[in-house]
Amino acid sequence: MGSITFNHVFKRYKGESRPAVNDFHLSIEEGEFLVLVGPSGCGKSTTLRMLAGLEEISSGELYLDGRFINYVSPKDRDIAMVFQNYALYPNLSVYENIALGLKLRKTAKHEIDVRVKRVASILEIAHLLDRKPSQLSGGQKQRVALGRAIAREPQVFLMDEPLSNLDAKLRAQTRAELIKLQSDLKRTTVYVTHDQVEAMTMGTRIVVMKDGVIQQVAAPRALYDEPANVFVAGFIGSPQMNFLNGTIEKSDGDYYFSNKRMRLLLPEATGRNFERAPKTVRSVILGVRPEHVILKRGSTEEAGFITGLVQMTEATGADSYVYVQIGSYPLIARTDPEQTYAAGDVVSVGLQMHKIHFFDESTEELVGRGEA
Amino acid sequence: MMPKLRRLRTASPFQVILITLFTALALFMSLPIVFIFNHAFKPQNELFLFPPRFFVRHPTLHNFETLFLHASNATVPFTRYLFNSLIVVSLTLVSVVVVSTMAAYVLAKYQFHFKQLIMSLITLSLMFAPETVSIPRYLVINGIGLNNTYLGHILPALASPVAVFMLVGFISQIPSDLMEAARIDGAGHVGIFVRMILPLSVPAIATISILTFQGVWGDVETSTLFMQKETMRTLAFYVNSLLSGLQNNVAGQNMAAAAGLLIFIPNLIIFLLFQRRVLETMVHSGIK
Repeated sequence: MGSITFNHVFKRYKGESRPAVNDFHLSIEEGEFLVLVGPSGCGKSTTLRMLAGLEEISSGELYLDGRFINYVSPKDRDIAMVFQNYALYPNLSVYENIALGLKLRKTAKHEIDVRVKRVASILEIAHLLDRKPSQLSGGQKQRVALGRAIAREPQVFLMDEPLSNLDAKLRAQTRAELIKLQSDLKRTTVYVTHDQVEAMTMGTRIVVMKDGVIQQVAAPRALYDEPANVFVAGFIGSPQMNFLNGTIEKSDGDYYFSNKRMRLLLPEATGRNFERAPKTVRSVILGVRPEHVILKRGSTEEAGFITGLVQMTEATGADSYVYVQIGSYPLIARTDPEQTYAAGDVVSVGLQMHKIHFFDESTEELVGRGEA
Repeated sequence: MMPKLRRLRTASPFQVILITLFTALALFMSLPIVFIFNHAFKPQNELFLFPPRFFVRHPTLHNFETLFLHASNATVPFTRYLFNSLIVVSLTLVSVVVVSTMAAYVLAKYQFHFKQLIMSLITLSLMFAPETVSIPRYLVINGIGLNNTYLGHILPALASPVAVFMLVGFISQIPSDLMEAARIDGAGHVGIFVRMILPLSVPAIATISILTFQGVWGDVETSTLFMQKETMRTLAFYVNSLLSGLQNNVAGQNMAAAAGLLIFIPNLIIFLLFQRRVLETMVHSGIK
């Protein structure tokens, strides 16, 4: 119940040379919480809308539980969707909003009543059933929209940025509730967001998209630790991963990453990545997350450390982020908030070499990692 | 009352001037209505007074009496005209609303070939003065043999470019998400139209209802051109004939005064019923 297969799905709009969704090929397991994430215009919503049946598929096949559904109308797909702006029917009461889907499916009246009330009590909106959507707050509307989806008990839930109209606090709270709800209902859920925090916290698997193309599909932790390319590495994580251009050099059997300002000895395991690699791999982008940058006060001659200048610091409370400039290379380091740095301070910067990533400079694909 | 008074007291001099000016303007604009009401109850001697007076001195129901009496003497009773008008107005109103909302829904929310062309044609037809199409209309009505039928009254008013134009503007502001949600919930095209579009377009429908009502209720063209039988003509035609000298001009004046009021009252009632909705249409710039 609720497995979905995209078989090389394309979406082309008339008059546009580039497909909005380009060769989307993916299987979604039953009960999975899949998150589609990417910047706006990356095709994630289009993909969701094709799954909902609101958008035609230009080519490729779409299967729900093994059934070919390219040409099945939305109402016959057994899916429910939660929209970004909730799309509650303004002329109907909350009760009628939740009940409409059941009514249109000719569910018996008492059955509708039972289901609406059950859903309302799960979502704690039982006291709002007589109200009109215009009398509800954003958070309440959001719950009603969810209730409308849940009451139908569909095989698949589709959610199109359902939290983006809520304020920060409510968003965090609703996020947690959604996670719980999904784990209780165990229904396949496809969730679209541009917010990487939502993606990381909610998804059992995340699909990162850019320009209509899937960049990587992985579990949240894997996505963070093993980004497939520069785009994914930069998109997931806040503040984003530091990127340094340079080359890999070999001397005396050791491998070094070097550019104008630094020459870093790579761990043996990392170096081995480049042994068999073609020659073009020598120009690389080094990626390192802010939490894997070590900061020391003052300049030092210690091996593996480079001297830099503090540009500014950003204290978020739990952490503080120090923006360091090493020649023309900017770098962000996460530090203990107790340690305060002022703009203009001289610091020594080191990298946790087993946590670094290397991307090919021209293809931007991952070519080596610290831990290899 | 009290809060309003307090608000008046805090009004700036400029606002006081504005309020005074607008009140004066409103009173001035309402003079014809005051006149119609008073005129209908004037006895014969006051009707022909010169200079004419706004207010009636010795109100009487005599005018209404003559209207109904005269009508019963004539070949076609007054009530027949009234009946015709009611039939024509109600049928036209219902069909214009149905046809216009359906057309507007499709034009506002669906993509299809020649959509732009159709919209342009509708806009173009807004520019024609009704007189310019009288002859083609006559030819059409005559050609399909609708003379002396109710359909002959209704059909010319059925395609209402103003109504479609207004509704297209209104319906296109209803978020498409709502329709998509309804589609996923299991509604078909008709379901979406009946359950979402119609209820949400009520303000606009109210507006076009008033416009259509006033147009049809006061229309004499169909009665003059397409109806040769007196029994098929409408109240507006009858009242007009009283005024325009088709009948005895002097003797007709008192009946005309009474009929004028009778024909005006439904307009007023309809407007008062729908005016809040009409204002909503004008204020409505989008559904959040």
